[in-house]
Amino acid sequence: MSGSANVESLLREALSPVDPPPDLASRVTSRLQSISDYAADELESWELAAMRDPRNWLRPAIALLGGGAAGAGLVLLRAHQRHAKHADRGSEATPPGVDES
Amino acid sequence: MSEIAKTKAQLDSEFAELYREHMRDLYSYAYYRIGNHHDAEDLVEQTFLQAYRHFERAQRESDGRPLRPWLLRIAHNLAANHYRYRSRRPQTSLEESEPLAALHSTEDLVDGRDELARVLEGLKRLPDDRREALIMRFALGMDNREIARALGRTDGATKVLIHRAIKQLESVVAIAEDGG
Repeated sequence: MSGSANVESLLREALSPVDPPPDLASRVTSRLQSISDYAADELESWELAAMRDPRNWLRPAIALLGGGAAGAGLVLLRAHQRHAKHADRGSEATPPGVDES
Repeated sequence: MSEIAKTKAQLDSEFAELYREHMRDLYSYAYYRIGNHHDAEDLVEQTFLQAYRHFERAQRESDGRPLRPWLLRIAHNLAANHYRYRSRRPQTSLEESEPLAALHSTEDLVDGRDELARVLEGLKRLPDDRREALIMRFALGMDNREIARALGRTDGATKVLIHRAIKQLESVVAIAEDGG
């Protein structure tokens, strides 16, 4: 044996890729599948369980309140706009300086 | 919820692809690193299970780079833990704590060729990091950059590591040849 080149070529030959046993692939796949299913089930049950705990109601309640406030704001805004429109129409009907009565 | 399920299904299919693509590489690494089929199978299984848990993050952080070094990094860490665990077990017998040479026979691998057998025996006598670098280079065909990422080193340090590993292996094999 002489030189690094020789060792390298021997290494390339000696360390040929090794095929995994055929049952390993199916074993790993089924383990991964069960973990994946378990994770999905966990997520669903966590969501349901979480809603049973009153401490987790705060955030949806805030969201609900926020949504309610936003809705109320929208209603007020619409009413204000309607009112402004009516006022405009009124002013068009009665030009400035004309007494309606 | 349907959005989460869709993303998960997509991730699962991408992971399955990764798994099919690198199963053989990972098994080759595990086999040459650990030295027997039984533990190599366990190592591969554990590597993929751990990879699955962190796959989404790894994809995000890989920035489009191949994930093979990341998989090997996981296997490398698990293999190191495996040996740490074995060496700390109080009930470990002397036979069990012998170097890898005792664990698998090279005859199956080298088909009776003495020079190949000597190289494999020499490889088992190298320190772990040098042995791993050579396995990644010659069994898996990884380049310096990939090996560096798998071992958590710089490209320069990896180049030096491989160079020293080959030099050390040369002298180990030469001594074995002189000795008979």
